[in-house]
Amino acid sequence: MEETKIDIKKGIKFHKIVSNKFKTDLIAVFITVPLQRDTITYNALLPMVLRRGTNNIKTQQDINKELENMYGASFDCGVDKNGDNQVMKFYLEILDNQYVLENEDILKQGLKLLIDIVCNPYIENNAFLKKYVDGEKQNLKQLIEEKIDNKAKYALERCTEEMYKNKPYGMYKYGYIEDLNDIDENKLYNYYKKMLQECKIDIFITGDIKSNIEDEIRNNENIMKLAEREEKYIKEGERDIEQENNIVNESMNISQGKLVIGLDLQNMEKEKTYSAMVYNAILGGGSNSKLFQNVREKASLAYTAGSTYLKKKNNIFIRCGIEISNYNKAVDIIKKQLKDLEKGEFTEEDIDNAKRIVMSNIRNIEEEQDLQITYYYGQDFSEEKMSIKEYENRVENVNKEEIIDIAKEVKVNTIYFLKD
Amino acid sequence: MEIIESLKIKEKAYIEKLENGLTIIIIPKKNTNKKHIVWGTNFGSIDNHFVDPTTNKEVRIPDGVAHFLEHKMFEQKSGVNSLDKLMSLGVEPNAYTTNDHTAYYYECTDKFYEALDELMDYVQNPYYTDENVEKEKGIIGQEIKMYEDDPSWRLYINGLDCMYHKNEIKLDIAGTVESISKIDKEMLYSCYNTFYNPSNMLIVACGNFKPEELLKDIKERLIEKKDQGKIERIYEKEDETINKKYKEDKMPISIPLFMIGFKDNPNKEQKVKRHIAIEILLNILIGKSSKLYQELYDEGLVTTRPDTGYEFSKNYAHVTIMGQSKDPKKVEEMFLKQLKEIKNNGIDDNDFKRAKRKIYGDYVIEYNDVGDIARIFLSDYMKGVQSFDYIEDFDTVNKQYVEQMLKEVFDEEKMVMSVVNCE
Repeated sequence: MEETKIDIKKGIKFHKIVSNKFKTDLIAVFITVPLQRDTITYNALLPMVLRRGTNNIKTQQDINKELENMYGASFDCGVDKNGDNQVMKFYLEILDNQYVLENEDILKQGLKLLIDIVCNPYIENNAFLKKYVDGEKQNLKQLIEEKIDNKAKYALERCTEEMYKNKPYGMYKYGYIEDLNDIDENKLYNYYKKMLQECKIDIFITGDIKSNIEDEIRNNENIMKLAEREEKYIKEGERDIEQENNIVNESMNISQGKLVIGLDLQNMEKEKTYSAMVYNAILGGGSNSKLFQNVREKASLAYTAGSTYLKKKNNIFIRCGIEISNYNKAVDIIKKQLKDLEKGEFTEEDIDNAKRIVMSNIRNIEEEQDLQITYYYGQDFSEEKMSIKEYENRVENVNKEEIIDIAKEVKVNTIYFLKD
Repeated sequence: MEIIESLKIKEKAYIEKLENGLTIIIIPKKNTNKKHIVWGTNFGSIDNHFVDPTTNKEVRIPDGVAHFLEHKMFEQKSGVNSLDKLMSLGVEPNAYTTNDHTAYYYECTDKFYEALDELMDYVQNPYYTDENVEKEKGIIGQEIKMYEDDPSWRLYINGLDCMYHKNEIKLDIAGTVESISKIDKEMLYSCYNTFYNPSNMLIVACGNFKPEELLKDIKERLIEKKDQGKIERIYEKEDETINKKYKEDKMPISIPLFMIGFKDNPNKEQKVKRHIAIEILLNILIGKSSKLYQELYDEGLVTTRPDTGYEFSKNYAHVTIMGQSKDPKKVEEMFLKQLKEIKNNGIDDNDFKRAKRKIYGDYVIEYNDVGDIARIFLSDYMKGVQSFDYIEDFDTVNKQYVEQMLKEVFDEEKMVMSVVNCE
């Protein structure tokens, strides 16, 4: 896997990732803007409206026909949070040219279509089509309401909100229903035009690319119309509120309780990221972890028990699905694990196990095309260039003292429990 | 080893059946660092009534034993938990139970052979005690509860209940809190001895392997067991008719879920060809470029394309269409209208060609990932199907055959609907 970064123009980059492991190519366009309360719902709605039609292909049905003709190329779009930024993501996965049944360059076709969807939407009377905007407002409303459907995800989302009350990162990535009333086809289009000329744009292609695809991008008429820009995005976001042991309970008609504990590593220096990754793996990274062993295996309290480390915000989230009546027991056991780590009650073997889990995740980056893209996007964002090998070395070099240092800095910020 | 090849997608599979009855399939893939190996046994939730080949006696077991066994395979006499051991090697191990098989696997970029030692050790050496069986009941109880709160799972189970009268596929894979309470260690050992005989098992590996070498390495790690022959399974006789047209439930969700199902006859020939035709039909009927999908979308009745599929094994077969909608009744109505229209007017040539290209692309893309490839070969084998046939038989599926399948499979008499409404 090798990445070549090409500046198409100021603020617009092309990342070419050449790898011969796949039968597909993955094309992506990422648009990065700061998370802001007054634009968050606009940005969530935009990809949904853009996918409805382009100036060349005016309906979604016809876009889908085009995609199916490209051997079922799949288009996907959505929004994500990346630190204190909101990222609109557009993907097109397409069969590599060597596997098509006739002699066609479908990569070129796919790239053109994707750029068209992002940069050349269907416009009437200097606005988006009313029908599309109204329809997608309904769909977005439903998407926001669906937040409660997956209880485990909902609990995590709620815990994050509690930790980042009134901060950008506490906002819901899909925005807010109350904003929708005020958005119409004119406002949205005006916002879009302005945003598209100011945002950070990253275009990625990964696959067994043989053609000179960067010229296709440079000479694409939609890309040519885009201005050079000072990219506006937030590199270092706001820290979470100084709070400790904030306890939140919420009720819903469910049979299994969802416990999420949000931990803070807020004053950690950047170089300690690697120690934090290993710390998290010891705590809740897999079936060897403290949480899995003690909450699930020894106490038989849960089916799921683990933790994830959110690098961008320096938080660890502990997540368990437990019998509702076992709440106190589970919290006590979890707190004891945190204390044990602080006291250094873990072995060299625990460290090795944890490192291997982290390393295997790192090695996996090369094996999946969307992970490759996320990896290089992250690097571009933090303005560092690190090879997979070097990344592995950093993790390998983490020692016990450094892990204990992390354990000492960990604070329980919020304990969130979803119960009946 | 027997070699089968697909020129179109440039992949080969090496197959060997050993003397003890074990089948091994190796799909070498050069350009990847990932390796995936899965060991499956043809024992799933539907196998609750069979003839014990050693005693020739009929046995009935409680629901959920196959899944319970899966949970209990990792514990070793030495006190080592094999799942932990594999994790500590940095490989990604797991296991799962389906209707017709149980599988143990790991995926790795490193330490393949150390992990192979462990995998082959724990699958061949069960260790059950009264205590460890009792303890597992609490964990599985929580797993069952997790599924109880999962609206899509409820939707699916209710849909199956509509289609089938008695077929074992209706059973919850994990069983119920009540049924698993009856499980004890003797029962687990006896099921292990019956179903974990090599003659009932299959190993599939995919990654950068030299097939002959890997075969040798697997053989070296096998403990000696005799081929005990075929296990006779007794399944409930299932009528061709559906059980009931409609079932409804309520859960705390934001928008109702629906499933439309068509019960199919599992005893038909040419299963692969049938499967391809059904995939093409589902795409024409309710695919992203279909008239119906666009209408549903425009009316705000669906926001994403419903998931569709054809599930089959040796004793069941059905089509599923699952999605969310504020008005499932209306979706059903519009679906039936569209179905009638296509049945009357025939399939449009362009629609047919496009759907075929799309389905072909879908099949090729499945060969991107070593894990997907291994899983496909395993589950196809359990169904009695050879995976490359999906690529090779593709050209033989013509419009006439697809139209015939439309009439035969998408029969309104065999259609059911399950709905989960908001509380």
